Amino acid sequence: MEGQLSSLVITKEDIETIDDLFSQYLVDSQAKDIILLNKSGELLAKSGAVTRESAVAVSALAAGVFSATNELAKLLGEREFTLTFHQGKETNIHISLVDPLILLAVIFDNKAPIGAIRFWAKKISGSIKPVLEKMAAEPRQEPSQDLRKGLLDEIDNLF
Amino acid sequence: MSLIDFSKSEITFKIVYYGPAMSGKTTNLSWIFRAIPEKVKGQFTSIATETERTLFFDFLPVELGTVKGFKIRLSLYTVPGQELYKLTRKSVLKSVDGIVFVADSNRDRRKDNINNLVDMFKNLEEYGLPDTPIIYQLNKRDVPAIIPVEELVDDLRLKGKAVYLGIASSGVSVMECLKGITHEVVSKI
Repeated sequence: MEGQLSSLVITKEDIETIDDLFSQYLVDSQAKDIILLNKSGELLAKSGAVTRESAVAVSALAAGVFSATNELAKLLGEREFTLTFHQGKETNIHISLVDPLILLAVIFDNKAPIGAIRFWAKKISGSIKPVLEKMAAEPRQEPSQDLRKGLLDEIDNLF
Repeated sequence: MSLIDFSKSEITFKIVYYGPAMSGKTTNLSWIFRAIPEKVKGQFTSIATETERTLFFDFLPVELGTVKGFKIRLSLYTVPGQELYKLTRKSVLKSVDGIVFVADSNRDRRKDNINNLVDMFKNLEEYGLPDTPIIYQLNKRDVPAIIPVEELVDDLRLKGKAVYLGIASSGVSVMECLKGITHEVVSKI
């Protein structure tokens, strides 16, 4: 059985730290885009040339691919595969597990050799890990009763 | 797992449409895609085989509106219903916040409904999510060889649960189901 949190809460400070890291790595690695997502397929943060709308769809698909790959791992007697890599004519995408709930997708053009892609994915993952650990360790600001009540009261108006 | 992003003031929920093959899960999503305004919907991603059957999943992000300063977003998914894609179905359920179970009212699909529901609960149990909110859409209420509502409710043990009678191809109960499950998932945050 795989347990999980009921909510993942992200603060403004968390996102600022991640955005700063990604912006720097985008320059250093010459990646086209760096995307942080959770295993549900939600986009958490991104930096680079891919539009936000496409990054939302990329996140859903990357999490789906990753999750399906892990069913494959189990069939083969592995607990899980920690990365998947897709190589195209123009673009490559490297998806790897950063922590039990979070995935990192790094998109490169075809100029980057596979060794460099793996190197940068590993390096970015290593830098982001302490930020995620800090996020998990700090008490999170939970949605207030007021917000919860407001949501329930106003759902009808949203449809 | 809902995502609460204070940096963008957004809350995102993952809703999965589950059910046997050809019960109308993709039809529900297609209707929603057509019914909601352009500016609140994202890209509709569908991974289908050459015969238009869902192979992996359909995905539609929707922005419902703003409540108390928070944008409410839904990520809507369907699963492939065919028996062959059992493991793919399981993988899409990962970290789900709420489920719309779409049952087929056709008499000859009786067994498929039951098997699929059992399969869903087994997967939720394995993911440690036995308390996930679920609502039930008894779809295709316009077919000739129809299972009476009482019989379907008995078959799927739905007495006392949230049940909607639907004809997704013409939009009957599609938005009501979406609203119903949104209400359920919001109550859980």
